[in-house]
Amino acid sequence: MTPHGDDSIKVVPVRHYGQWIGVAVLGLFLAMLFHTLFIRVASAKVTCKVASVAATCHHVMVWRYSWNIVGHYFFTSEILHGLRITLELTVIAMVIGIALGLLIAVMRMSRNRLLSTVAFAYTWFFRGTPVFVQLFFWSFLGAVYPRLTLGIPFTHVTYAHINVNTSFTIFDACALGLGLNEGAYMSEIARAGLISVDEGQIEAATSLGMTRRQTLRLVTIPQAMRVIIPPTGNEVISMLKTTSLASAVGLIELLGAATNIYSANYEIIPLLIVASLWFLVVTTILSIGQFYLERRFARGALRTPPPTPIQRLRGDVRGVASKFRTRRGLGAPA
Amino acid sequence: MSEPMVKVRDVRKSYNGIEVLKGVDLHVARGEVTCLIGPSGSGKSTLLRCINHLEKHDSGELRVDGELVGYEARNGKLYELTDKRVCENRSRIGMVFQRFNLFQHLNVLDNVTIGQMKVRGTSREDANNKARELLARVGLKDKEKNYPSQLSGGQQQRVAIARALAMDPKLMLFDEPTSALDPELVGEVLEVMKDLARSGMTMIVVTHEIGFAREVANTVYFLDGGVIEESGDPRTILVTPSSDRLKNFLSKVL
Repeated sequence: MTPHGDDSIKVVPVRHYGQWIGVAVLGLFLAMLFHTLFIRVASAKVTCKVASVAATCHHVMVWRYSWNIVGHYFFTSEILHGLRITLELTVIAMVIGIALGLLIAVMRMSRNRLLSTVAFAYTWFFRGTPVFVQLFFWSFLGAVYPRLTLGIPFTHVTYAHINVNTSFTIFDACALGLGLNEGAYMSEIARAGLISVDEGQIEAATSLGMTRRQTLRLVTIPQAMRVIIPPTGNEVISMLKTTSLASAVGLIELLGAATNIYSANYEIIPLLIVASLWFLVVTTILSIGQFYLERRFARGALRTPPPTPIQRLRGDVRGVASKFRTRRGLGAPA
Repeated sequence: MSEPMVKVRDVRKSYNGIEVLKGVDLHVARGEVTCLIGPSGSGKSTLLRCINHLEKHDSGELRVDGELVGYEARNGKLYELTDKRVCENRSRIGMVFQRFNLFQHLNVLDNVTIGQMKVRGTSREDANNKARELLARVGLKDKEKNYPSQLSGGQQQRVAIARALAMDPKLMLFDEPTSALDPELVGEVLEVMKDLARSGMTMIVVTHEIGFAREVANTVYFLDGGVIEESGDPRTILVTPSSDRLKNFLSKVL
């Protein structure tokens, strides 16, 4: 109860003048950004209109950021093909990376010294050398090992062999190279997740009679996921753009496709914008996926899960609407 | 008299050269409640954890239901049991922890069914039925869809007891089950434990609840500095302790 006997408290909220000034300044900057992005400026080209006797000439107005050229190339088959390569590389490299990362993290935490040392050495090597060099190595694998054979080591007994130069494509090399490199980074992320799970959880599982493997699969990993997912989302997005290194070894992905086009027509900035916009589109989709994945694995960790953006938007609309209603209610005589 | 459920003889255990258990003897008869009391660091929890092989004891003999814990004696030699056998033995010993340790990512029902299904291979339907029965028994029938973080400490501990009971244990170990609880929630957990004791469950309880020990325990062991300082009927040793250390301890906790 308030002193006035109302059931809800009506107060004049504290005015945040500093915030208002901040909003105004930010608004100004945003307006400037919007203006510079979409303004048309006079180009070097001149057009003349002849009307009766005199000709009036003026410069052709063009987008500062050549949006017309961006639009023209956005859906060309070259770009779309590059996009497909980028997406395929990202997915395959991340699948390899996540699986390998989890395996190496578990090995690293093993009681067996050999396993933990091998895991440590793997991370040390693949994190410690440039991914660029690794990609080169895998793409020139055929030069070092023209033939890979399956047989008994150190003898001449062989059962099968493949010709590396013909059956190991440049795409395979890039996917493998990026995946093996990613595995090293993912292993540290996975390890961080695994050690974040409370020791008591493992003891409880053990005392129920679960084996170490069951404990890992049913108790530790599901809870570690909460910690593993956010940095893994980072890694996926980072990988999306790291795939552009593939063009250095001759695999034309999204950025490579853009480069190919602008090296022919010199429209460098517009084509870089085309590639960047596609990267942004994919990143947006990935971020949305990450949000819902995080929610899924946060079950039980929070008393009430945070609202989804749509729920939050609905809440905002309702909040603003009710504010207007109370305003009107206040103005009306009681 | 039949074979005791737990038989501990001259068990020793050290961590990094510091001896925590210095030759402990303990007998727990079937269907009896045994309370371990003593100051913190006296080795009570370590002893409990050795009994289900969460910790390995260094020397001495430790038998549960007549069988050695963690080892097998053949031809006068001790062989370490395989992980599988150790897990099998553990699954017959229920354990309740000070900090509940419910699986945070599973709801109450799944916490109680996971052991039955994954360790025993019980079907989901049977496991659910049993879990619901046990949850009703600990007074949490309507909480099965909740996650542990949505429950009070007392409720969580009661779920933890149900989770342990779901494995049909022949022995229940309680490691300070009420020490992490707010005072007003201690009673509800002790009630469940008393009910369990009345049903004939063999229990070993590490506790600071002297009242509970006096009321429920058949035998009380007082540990201090890694040795059993005094043991016997709670109505005797908790009322007229013979050792100065127990007198001193009781004067502090009562």
